[in-house]
Amino acid sequence: MQIEPTQLEKAVLLKVSGRMDAENAHEFEEACQQWISQGVKHLIADLDGLQYVSSMGLRCFLSVAQKLQPASGSLILCGLHGLPRQVFEMTRLITLFPVFDTAEQALATL
Amino acid sequence: MESTRLILPAAAESIAPFREFVRAGAVEAGIEPEELEKLDLVLEEILINVARYAYAPEKGLVEVRYLADGPGQLRVEIVDSGRVFNPLEADPPDLSRGLADRPIGGLGVFLVRSMVASIDYRREQDRNILSFTFPNHTLA
Repeated sequence: MQIEPTQLEKAVLLKVSGRMDAENAHEFEEACQQWISQGVKHLIADLDGLQYVSSMGLRCFLSVAQKLQPASGSLILCGLHGLPRQVFEMTRLITLFPVFDTAEQALATL
Repeated sequence: MESTRLILPAAAESIAPFREFVRAGAVEAGIEPEELEKLDLVLEEILINVARYAYAPEKGLVEVRYLADGPGQLRVEIVDSGRVFNPLEADPPDLSRGLADRPIGGLGVFLVRSMVASIDYRREQDRNILSFTFPNHTLA
């Protein structure tokens, strides 16, 4: 899994690609935590390059969103497709996140 | 019928070799390539549960064996010698909760159940045996 952060005016964009599994999902949560500690309120996860996510990854997405919520922040998902989209839909987690096709669309809402 | 088997420590590092092993069986069984990531997920969720609930804090071995179960269908068995642990007894997660009170966890077994055609647990000679058939042809 690769995580490529870009700092933007109103959010931090994290381009996540590859496979997020039990071995590496914590790296995503740690990367998000680092930005949250710096006061960032909105994180946009661009998942266009994400091929695979298991329940460990889902836990991390949920945990990051739960940390951002009390400060009126959000974890926004975009580019979800393939197996990751399927697991977000099956678990109905998709209803708990703002979801957009592209990062540009997500940014336009902030 | 003869099955093919691989035995490795029940640990996160074993997931990748088990994945490659079972994928080879899936290809032999004629399972569509686009189904393979779901198979990876089923396997990962089960193996993580074995390491965490059947063995931890101790360590132990886990055996994975597979058998072509008819065209386009694979039967996989995951066997460990840990304490009695039946993941299928877990309560289904409440998928209707909102973000703030949505519990973290319980999703792994839920996903496994959704992605397999059938799954059964049995305890035999002090071993946990979880057996599933894949894929679930009714899943879009």
